[in-house]
Amino acid sequence: MPTASEKELKLLEKAAAEFAGKELVPNREENDKYPFGPFFDSVLDKAYELDFFHIVLPEEADGMGHGMRALCTILDCICQADSSLGGIIFTCTAAQEVLLAAGENKKLKQIASNAKKVADFLIAFPVFNNPNEIKPAAGAVKKNGKYLLSGNSEYTVLGDLAAQAVIPSKTDGQEGYSYFLIDLSDQGVQKSKPVHSLGLHACPAVDLELNDVPGDLIGKPGEGKQYFEKMTDRLNVAAAAMSAGIMKGSFKEAFEYSKMRSQGGKKIINWSEIKMILANMAVQIKIADMCVKSASQDADSRNPGWAAGSRAAAIHVQSAACDMTTDGIQVLGGVGYMKDFGQEKRFRDAKHLQALLGIAPLKKIKYIDSMIR
Amino acid sequence: MISKSEIKTLLDEEPRFNDITCSLQSVPKLPKALLKETRETVAIARKFNKEVVRPYALELDLKMHADPDYLPYDFVEKANDWGFYTMWLPRVFGGRGYSAPTMAPFSEELASACLGMANLVGVHYLGVSSLAATLNTRMIHKIFQDTVNGEKTGQPCLISTAITEPGAGTDVEEVELVDKADLSCYAEKVKGGYVVNGTKVFISSGHLSTWHILISYSDLGKPSENTVVLAIKTGMEGFSFGRIEKKMGQKGCPASELLFKDCFVPDENVCLDMHQMKFPRSKRAVATALLDDVLAASRAGVGAFGTGVARGAFEEAAAFASETEVEGKLLINHEWAQSMLAEMYKNVTLARGAYVETNYAIGLYGTTKDLLSKPMYYYSKFVPQFWIDKVIAPLLKKPFLTQMARKNRFKTISEKDQQLTSGMGSMAKFAGTDAGVKNCQMALEMMGQTGLRHDHRMEKLLRDSKLLQIYEGTNQLNRLNLFKCMVARNIPQAKVFEED
Ligand SMILES: Cc1cc2nc3c(=O)[nH]c(=O)nc-3n(C[C@H](O)[C@H](O)[C@H](O)COP(=O)(O)OP(=O)(O)OC[C@H]3O[C@@H](n4cnc5c(N)ncnc54)[C@H](O)[C@@H]3O)c2cc1C
Repeated sequence: MPTASEKELKLLEKAAAEFAGKELVPNREENDKYPFGPFFDSVLDKAYELDFFHIVLPEEADGMGHGMRALCTILDCICQADSSLGGIIFTCTAAQEVLLAAGENKKLKQIASNAKKVADFLIAFPVFNNPNEIKPAAGAVKKNGKYLLSGNSEYTVLGDLAAQAVIPSKTDGQEGYSYFLIDLSDQGVQKSKPVHSLGLHACPAVDLELNDVPGDLIGKPGEGKQYFEKMTDRLNVAAAAMSAGIMKGSFKEAFEYSKMRSQGGKKIINWSEIKMILANMAVQIKIADMCVKSASQDADSRNPGWAAGSRAAAIHVQSAACDMTTDGIQVLGGVGYMKDFGQEKRFRDAKHLQALLGIAPLKKIKYIDSMIR
Repeated sequence: MISKSEIKTLLDEEPRFNDITCSLQSVPKLPKALLKETRETVAIARKFNKEVVRPYALELDLKMHADPDYLPYDFVEKANDWGFYTMWLPRVFGGRGYSAPTMAPFSEELASACLGMANLVGVHYLGVSSLAATLNTRMIHKIFQDTVNGEKTGQPCLISTAITEPGAGTDVEEVELVDKADLSCYAEKVKGGYVVNGTKVFISSGHLSTWHILISYSDLGKPSENTVVLAIKTGMEGFSFGRIEKKMGQKGCPASELLFKDCFVPDENVCLDMHQMKFPRSKRAVATALLDDVLAASRAGVGAFGTGVARGAFEEAAAFASETEVEGKLLINHEWAQSMLAEMYKNVTLARGAYVETNYAIGLYGTTKDLLSKPMYYYSKFVPQFWIDKVIAPLLKKPFLTQMARKNRFKTISEKDQQLTSGMGSMAKFAGTDAGVKNCQMALEMMGQTGLRHDHRMEKLLRDSKLLQIYEGTNQLNRLNLFKCMVARNIPQAKVFEED
């Protein structure tokens, strides 16, 4: 499998960290206001120029052809600052991975090489739902050899930004579901306003209503589940990396604040209760880092059990991030609850990300199911 | 088999029998009508939720996202119309005279629908109890009258409590810490009153309130012995509002900055000044009693908020599971989901138990002890209005009544009783609020993508719930207070807040 060399990884990390520090951190509060404030278009453009959306895309599809370690490195750095952009990269990568799982490299190449701006390149995708858990509400019928999609695709992430979307849909006479590539500028596509949500405000989702929208079948009919599973096997570790990034951001802010803030006549970091909270946070981060590193290396090397490792990493790190970001607010006391600081956003984002790729407890059930089989 | 003295000795051992059986001891002493009254308040809250809170909560939250400076007068007016701001004011002060213990179940109900709106009612009573704790009957009468008139005229008159400062949050909630606090809100004694300079922050309902009960200090070097409680009226010269905080949740209830610049507060607005009268106890003991009296009850109230939001989350998750097919069958029929819902139900029940038991403790050993005795309860309910107007109201304005009330209260303070009520208040607070956050997190886990959407309410509950672990003292402070009150009292070598 393609992987980035250690040197390349270091360079990527440096680029992502610099970008996050310069482009994301200063405007985090402003950017999070979307849709009640402007969208961070210029940030998205710059991320696109830096090829953050091309990391795991194969070279033949105009990508960088790196592996999961590279993607995890980028997402970790970005999510330390603002996970909305991480969500955009993740969503687009998930859609790309569905296409790759179905062997649709050509379609990907077409999208990449035709793209004149970031919107042309982005692919919207309902990345928070596993269609095997909650069935797709869109259906496709074949007319004159072409598929037409009608119905709803709820919570389609990037639906108001991207030129195209990968949509799961039931197909007449087929068990399971299929994936279709649709053109979001088609007249049969109706988009809701951005769905206001818990976190990731600048990674917006819309509800789509489809009326006889032409759909380009991805792979084979009825094989959607397989593609989804292949995609999740690979991307779970990337999801874990995003949560690990949030944890690091939360710890950093809590740690710095506790060294500045005094109560009871001393810096609060000198109260052992605060030290204990910070210690728990630091330990969780170390574990998260080890999980992500080991699982992404295993994924890139296709070591035995790599997919299980990736799933376990996501389940563990996402849950740890939810607990940890709660403490991240707590260390700051009242100001931790306010928008002026980054902690409240991290708390929301961590919980939001736990729902990536499906319902959290069901991910555990599936994990054990895969061992029973 | 066992002698009386043996029973006493054994039951005084830890855990003390009296501490662990508050409800059992309390119930036989309580007036029967309290049950009826509680039923009524819970029913009123449910009706209000149906007619006002639920239809408006999400819309208000969204409005606040769009315009964080929006002030929800519309909701406050509704609560005023429904009589909520006078409901728990005693009849002798012009209120509707509902009993204090009925407030927590009412709060739980409101909180199960919207914490921001629950706080818009609840925090007014933090102001009420901060003022009441000073036992200054003249000021209590004056300010409560304003609230009563505000209800009559449709111009809500809310009361806020202002204690937190930019440099001191935890420190001002604990007498052991306040002398080390970095305080800046200074009340300087001048002829005819005080001049206040400084800032208070995070004051719930600040911008919406007419009266602000300001906890300030006349000597910043020794605040524990120099507490001055002042009544500040919106519009007073030298007093203004600063920013409205941009909060993650409970958006309906603004948190305000209060600014004082050479604000002259006349003597008549001084609710309590440790130097103005002789207390039967040390100043420090009085300051502790003041804080404990207010916080034991208000923290139990926040425990009720936590219980409410834990319940709201449970209800959302159960509704979602009952109507959503997951992997081909209703989620409610997945055994793991049933187990999660049972866990959430348990969290609600235990959290409720904690605040209910605390209120029993306060009824036995705390501020509501006298009010809940049967004769006092029925007298306050049935004393004729003309008697209140003609005889009691004029008396309330007399300084000797304040003196008497204070003597009575502060003389009878028992450290043991205070420890119990304060410790229990803290326990109810962190038990309830941790349960609230936990249940919100569990509900969101069950609901997946649906839970993330604002239009499905659950995400708001999580945002709202997190604040509960911070205000009325962080849960960390409340754990340490529980330790101080309930554990350290038996361990002479234990020192609290004295870590090197
Ligand atoms: C939205 C909102 C509404 C509020 N409403 C009101 C109101 O109406 N009126 C009012 O007066 N106040 C109000 N408050 C203030 C609230 O009570 C304080 O925020 C709270 O007491 C914590 O204080 P702080 O924010 O200054 O945090 P800090 O005191 O600075 O605490 C920071 C961290 O240090 C920890 N810490 C501090 N001291 C110690 C110690 N000795 N040992 C161990 N750990 C310690 C804390 O637990 C916390 O984790 C409100 C706050 C908020 C956020």
